[in-house]
Amino acid sequence: MPEVGPVVVISELTKKYGDFCALDQLSLSLDRGRILGFIGPNGAGKTTTIKILVGQVRPTSGSASIAGVDCIRDAKKIKRLVGYMPDTFGSYDNMRVYEYLDFFGAAFGMPRRDRTRRVDEVLEIAGAFGFKDRYVESLSHGMKQRVGIARTLLHDPQVIILDEPANGLDPQARIEMRELLIHLAEMGKTLIVTSHILPELARICHDVAIITHGHLRAFGTLDEIMHRVSERRLIEVELTNNESLDAAVALVREQTDDGSEVVGSATEAIVRFRTSKSQKELADLLARLVHAGIGVCQFRELQSDLEDTFLSITRQPKDAVEAWLPRNQHPQ
Amino acid sequence: MTVNPIIRRELISVLRSRWALGMQLGPIAIFSLLVILRWPSEGQVDVAGRQAQQVFRLFGYGLLAMLLLLAPAYPAVSIVAEKKRGTLALLLNTPLSRPSIYLGKLLGALGYIALPLAMSVPAVAACYAMGGLSLTRDIGVLYLVLALVTVQYTALALWISSFATSTDSALRITYGTVLLLAVGTLGPYLFLQGHPDTRAAHVAGWIRCISPIPAVMELVGQGDVGGHGLIADAGAPLRYGVLALATTIALAVHTTWRLTPTLFDRARPAGNNTLGASKSRQWLRRIAFVVDPERRTKPMGRFTNPVLVKEFRTRRFGRSQWMLRLVAVCALASLGLTYAATTGTLSWGVETIGGIMVLLQVALIVMLTPSLAAGLISSERESGGWALLQMTPLSTGRILRGKLLSVGATMLLILLATLPGYAIMMVIKPVLQQQVLLVLACLLLTAMFAVCLSAAVSSLFRHTAPATIASYALLIALCGGPLLLWLGRDAPFGHDLVQAALRIDPIAAALSILEVSNFSQYNVLPANWWIIASATAFSLALLTFRTWRLTQPR
Repeated sequence: MPEVGPVVVISELTKKYGDFCALDQLSLSLDRGRILGFIGPNGAGKTTTIKILVGQVRPTSGSASIAGVDCIRDAKKIKRLVGYMPDTFGSYDNMRVYEYLDFFGAAFGMPRRDRTRRVDEVLEIAGAFGFKDRYVESLSHGMKQRVGIARTLLHDPQVIILDEPANGLDPQARIEMRELLIHLAEMGKTLIVTSHILPELARICHDVAIITHGHLRAFGTLDEIMHRVSERRLIEVELTNNESLDAAVALVREQTDDGSEVVGSATEAIVRFRTSKSQKELADLLARLVHAGIGVCQFRELQSDLEDTFLSITRQPKDAVEAWLPRNQHPQ
Repeated sequence: MTVNPIIRRELISVLRSRWALGMQLGPIAIFSLLVILRWPSEGQVDVAGRQAQQVFRLFGYGLLAMLLLLAPAYPAVSIVAEKKRGTLALLLNTPLSRPSIYLGKLLGALGYIALPLAMSVPAVAACYAMGGLSLTRDIGVLYLVLALVTVQYTALALWISSFATSTDSALRITYGTVLLLAVGTLGPYLFLQGHPDTRAAHVAGWIRCISPIPAVMELVGQGDVGGHGLIADAGAPLRYGVLALATTIALAVHTTWRLTPTLFDRARPAGNNTLGASKSRQWLRRIAFVVDPERRTKPMGRFTNPVLVKEFRTRRFGRSQWMLRLVAVCALASLGLTYAATTGTLSWGVETIGGIMVLLQVALIVMLTPSLAAGLISSERESGGWALLQMTPLSTGRILRGKLLSVGATMLLILLATLPGYAIMMVIKPVLQQQVLLVLACLLLTAMFAVCLSAAVSSLFRHTAPATIASYALLIALCGGPLLLWLGRDAPFGHDLVQAALRIDPIAAALSILEVSNFSQYNVLPANWWIIASATAFSLALLTFRTWRLTQPR
């Protein structure tokens, strides 16, 4: 496999279940050693995409490849290239951790001596060496997640796909999981991680793909996406009291007039809106508010994070999709 | 009036299912057919009521078989499923008392099974109208015994469910216990009846009455199946009634007492190992256990099928130390059977002792096989392990070989334990060699069929609990169903129909080879072997196809 160029390439991937379209012309690519945060609401098509990548689901059309190997035609080869950790652990009763890993090592045809060494290695990498002799079902959720990661690393795959690895973990375990994923990327592994815990993803992901209703809504580095989204900045106007809230909302709505959602919070006496207006236009808006006799305490732009970005993107109608995609990712 | 909310939830949710509809319609159809079959077609009535008694006999056995099969299915998972889902903890935190929770579950389950029982009443009424039956002495007492069977086995299933750690293990243990109580308890009596030691025979007579079968047999006016000319002790329904009531009350009280939050307070062994222990301790443990359960196992061998090893390791009693114990138990059972075969063959004749051994052995196959094989595929799908197996380069064939061998090897070990018993029969009567070999072939074929059928059923389900129920139902229906027709062999069923039915029954084939009384007149072989072999091949093909489908991208 060439050292340069994308490791994961997804091209116009579509998956339909009867009339329901789970994935609609999804295209993206990922370079070696990168961590991709794959984000979307429940039922957006994340798991379908992952299952196509690991050869468990056949797409209706389009293609997907990992390290140049077609995920659909060469499903057998894909098994050796990819380490997949599903959102369910898949434990077997009455098995100790090393027996569990020994089984998967043997299933991958690893020679006995190499297997013993490799089991110790991956347990060490995953920080699970301490519970090597414990029964799998007696482990806590966080411990199981570590063993799950050790299992995905066992056959030394190039690409690791983790479905909700931080789900149900306590803050300490989440931090450890984050460090582990960064360590794996430093080892040259390419990671695709889905999660609902966006601040966690924001800290580790090089790239982010946001998907809703089977459509890719945004793809790029976190900075790129936030930059594109922040063309529509989130502005917060804090009023002196909530008596003039309705008037303020009406005035802002009239002045922005670009289809943005303007939300007034009576309890906070705050008006929030997202807009692509220039600095001067915003200064004019502030002047109008003051001129209308509305008491304004603060008029400020809120810094958006991945959570805001995600919400901004997912709340937009489907036809706004092009706005958040890089030029070469626009649907034809 | 407020209905216990648990009854409402348990019963109504079950009644909404398609299963329940099938359970209501199925018995009606079968019972109506039986009555139509024997309904007087001419304007004459049989004063002695022979026809009515023939149908009544079949009703008795049919209803008993149905209850033994269906009554434990739902309550066996009732408590353990709630425990796993976490809803039992919620229930225990409500103001509902322990007895009302238990009663809710018991009555809910009873209501479910009472439906098909109630559905049989019109057919029995028609049977009664045919004359020759007493409403109180025949019909009333039979229904009383059947009601007791329902309550007893429901209470038993709930009791086991309160101990179980998973739904499939609850089903396995429950059906195993039901078979043991209903069929296994007949064993000592079959061997000891007419024994010079009257005390042993008397005890065996009471043990026999733990099973409801002798009670129903007595009520429908039939002799003692497997008996050899002696008149059995009368009063089986009364003895059964006393034992059933006592066990039901004991089980109900103990289960109610167990329904506390401490039910969840179970420590799971974290997994110690003796690797760091002193050499002397390690040696001591090795001497004590032969295979130390706390030793660190060696990695799987290069040419070993990893699925085979995994199946043994994940099975509760599949580890080496347990397998050694199983071998020891089998060896002891073998010695016991050899002794019984020697003494029994000399005094009762080879046919009778052979018949008893075949019945017990098939009961063992039917009891064990679904518990081992019905979760082969479904448990992987249920636990999420299948998605992981799919991600390995293991081929469908290798996965299946590993799984089938793991069950096959255990079954073979258990079957081999009975070989010395048959060998003794061959020594006593050398002319039997050919017959005994044919019987062994029959049993081997039965075991293979049972394994393949249960595994095939397993591949059709996502969860192990329904797969286990379906496997037991199919196997018991195949092995026991034709015997019900055989019980009505002179009337209402003719020779040809009974013979055709027996040809699909592996027990009947073995019994006919041994020329057991009332089986020798049926020409069952080789048609039975062809049918069973074809069914095995079909099950294997279905299993392979389903497993292959499951490994393919969807």
